[in-house]
Amino acid sequence: MNRREFLKTAAVTGATLALPGLLMPDGSMAAAEKPDMIVATGPSPARITRAAVDAFGGMRRFVSRGDVVVIKPNIGWDRTPEYAATTNPEVVGALVRLCFEAGAKKVKVFDHTVSSPRRAYKQSGIADAAGAAGADVSFVEDRKFKEMKIQGETLKSWPLYTEVFEADKIINVPIAKVHGTSILTLGMKNWMGVMGGSRGRIHQRIDPCLVDMARTVRPTLVVLDAVRILVANGPTGGDLSDVRLLNTVVVGQDQVAVDAFGSTLFGLKEDALGCVRLGHQAGLGNMRLSRQKIRRIRA
Amino acid sequence: MPPPAAAREADHSLDPESGKTVIRKARFASQALFLLLFLWLFLQTESKGADQLGYPVKFFLDADPLLALTAILSSRSFLPSMLLAGAVALATVFLGRFFCGWVCPLGTLHNLAGAAVRKRRRVVPMGSFRLKYLLLVFLLASSAFTLQIAGIFDPLSLLIRSLSLSVYPAFQYGITSFLDALSRWPVPGLAPAADWLLDVLHKSVLSLRQPLFSQGFILGLLFLGILALNWVERRYWCRYLCPLGALLGILSRWSLLSRSVSEGCDSCGACVPGCEGGCSPQSLDKWRKTECYLCGNCDDACPKNAVSFGFGRKAGGSSLDLGRRRVVAAAAAGVAAVPLLRIGPTRAGQADPRLIRPPGSLEEREFLRRCVKCGECMKVCITGGLQPALAETSLEGIWSPVLVPRVGYCEYRCTLCGQVCPTGAIRSLKPQEKTDVKIGLAMIDQGRCLPWSHAVPCIVCEEVCPTPQKAVLLEEVTVKDRDGRPVTVKQPRVDLERCIGCGICENRCPVLGMPAIYVLSVGESRSRDNQLLLP
Repeated sequence: MNRREFLKTAAVTGATLALPGLLMPDGSMAAAEKPDMIVATGPSPARITRAAVDAFGGMRRFVSRGDVVVIKPNIGWDRTPEYAATTNPEVVGALVRLCFEAGAKKVKVFDHTVSSPRRAYKQSGIADAAGAAGADVSFVEDRKFKEMKIQGETLKSWPLYTEVFEADKIINVPIAKVHGTSILTLGMKNWMGVMGGSRGRIHQRIDPCLVDMARTVRPTLVVLDAVRILVANGPTGGDLSDVRLLNTVVVGQDQVAVDAFGSTLFGLKEDALGCVRLGHQAGLGNMRLSRQKIRRIRA
Repeated sequence: MPPPAAAREADHSLDPESGKTVIRKARFASQALFLLLFLWLFLQTESKGADQLGYPVKFFLDADPLLALTAILSSRSFLPSMLLAGAVALATVFLGRFFCGWVCPLGTLHNLAGAAVRKRRRVVPMGSFRLKYLLLVFLLASSAFTLQIAGIFDPLSLLIRSLSLSVYPAFQYGITSFLDALSRWPVPGLAPAADWLLDVLHKSVLSLRQPLFSQGFILGLLFLGILALNWVERRYWCRYLCPLGALLGILSRWSLLSRSVSEGCDSCGACVPGCEGGCSPQSLDKWRKTECYLCGNCDDACPKNAVSFGFGRKAGGSSLDLGRRRVVAAAAAGVAAVPLLRIGPTRAGQADPRLIRPPGSLEEREFLRRCVKCGECMKVCITGGLQPALAETSLEGIWSPVLVPRVGYCEYRCTLCGQVCPTGAIRSLKPQEKTDVKIGLAMIDQGRCLPWSHAVPCIVCEEVCPTPQKAVLLEEVTVKDRDGRPVTVKQPRVDLERCIGCGICENRCPVLGMPAIYVLSVGESRSRDNQLLLP
């Protein structure tokens, strides 16, 4: 697929998602069965986040009283939210509030950024939004990376951020973007943000490494931010004409399934991403969306 | 006259705090206040993530008449911020050298260093005070001929540079490694305490990122050396070397606020040891008004209470005689320094490829006429990539800022270096202006690049490239691995027009040692000649 086709399909997907009425003939099925994934659409990022989590059984299903929760957004770049290079701050803020409402003792928000952390945290709006919701927003510190064993096919050990593994619950909040080597950066790719060391080398065998990471960090919940998606010049962005407004969040527990669904937002097939195929093969999750009960809601 | 003097003498003997009179206490308070203000502004010279710093961190540099005067001379231009320096100069004309005694943070540090020295050797020849005036003449002459090296000797520039590039990095390294070591001790309770203290320090006085600078050692040594001169004589630097003090001295010659001595003075010499400026206060006709910092110590020390400070007093004392031959020689040396410092090979033709200046820097010759090497831009640089120059430029440009991308790149949307530059050597850019400024150009070393030479996938340079339309383009090609099997890799190419030379690609290139993509100064917006493409 070349870039032109890609943009076209992405635009079409965006348009259809903007009319969710057409896409959910089975919107009524949900109440009885437990859904595997919630796709919420609507103009307010905070409201659709809340609605999606509620439709998924509520945050109490995932977070218990007294839990220390790590929320891991993508704060990788020094960009403001409208450029869709970093997770939507309202989505992060809403999740922090939901965790506290479910009784969390502490909610930590951090990311090992690529741009200067001070600018990325501030300009993305995430530090302010999460801070206002009561989260502990902290910069990643070198001394908190510890070499850890990884039960992986490719990675055997890597310096990882200890706070992730000390937490009771982990919520992965990636943003959906294009990326030069892994085609897209979605949920599994977001775990690069808890890696230390010289993580640029990961790109040499990116897909198996991402699966190894997804195996190591098991999130309680995955919330894919597709309020705005970046369809070209990712993962950094910088041009508003590369941004599509989908007003969507996807909530699930299966890292492979959420990423498979994320691909479809860009007009790609569910098995377009190498990490999704490998994750599926490794039994980490199920990329067959036809096997999933996906409930679409509007909020 | 004698009765009140005697009465006050009696008071002095009764009061154990006799040395600390009102004027002296006020001076200590003023010195402490300005030192704290200076240090606080120094700590604020650091990004909090917003586009603006929010504090006038270059306040002291803006208030410096020597930097303003030499910058005006060397660049033949004037900045509105220099009005503050003009105000200080004007205040000195009326009030004398209050700046040296009451304000200057380096002067206060000299006081503190001097207080730590018990015995003082006095081996300095009497006429040495002239040295600083001759240095001033030297600097003014060289700046009149467009050479800006006053910043090397200016006390505020020197202090900020020394703190930024040496003292502060060493302080942070020392304290964090000490606390890190403590937290690894197998003593219960020690690790959390060390962690807590580290956290507190990080939120107050430490930088988020450990600052690291080349030449930090030599700059620190110079600074310690200058402080150590107090061991030879108290405030040695201020008395004999400081060119700003000399300029303020000249301005204070006819100041209205002045010391006067009544006839009760019998030249007993009680005032000599306390005199901050070393201005021969015991002698009515040898007293040097231009050396007086208005410290008031002579007033305190005088057993006859013959000293007073006030407006419109007849000052007396000796006039400032530097000697015509010495002045001419200093001026001639200043003029001679202009070509001597500029005859490095970098002047021969092409710009040094490693001389990557901060974004918004003026054209090189214009830049050097203005840069005072204060180190503010290096202190504030969010990635720590701005380093003091040494071999990249001729001696004229020593300690001026150079971006070393392997150390730190230029953050795409950051404009802080231009905001803190006191002389406009780096223009203050608007955010939308900044993204169009090229500081150099990235080149790919195909022989080292993983996808080009080694059939190994890697796209890091493309991934991190911040321009809205990527300046690193990827081309998918099929190459063979060592067994001859086809491998698909994406080979990077640099788009010469889009690349702005920020250096993040070089900084993040996983090919360690010599990177496979690196930035050269060619293509920098500020230069007409250092270009690769036809305009």
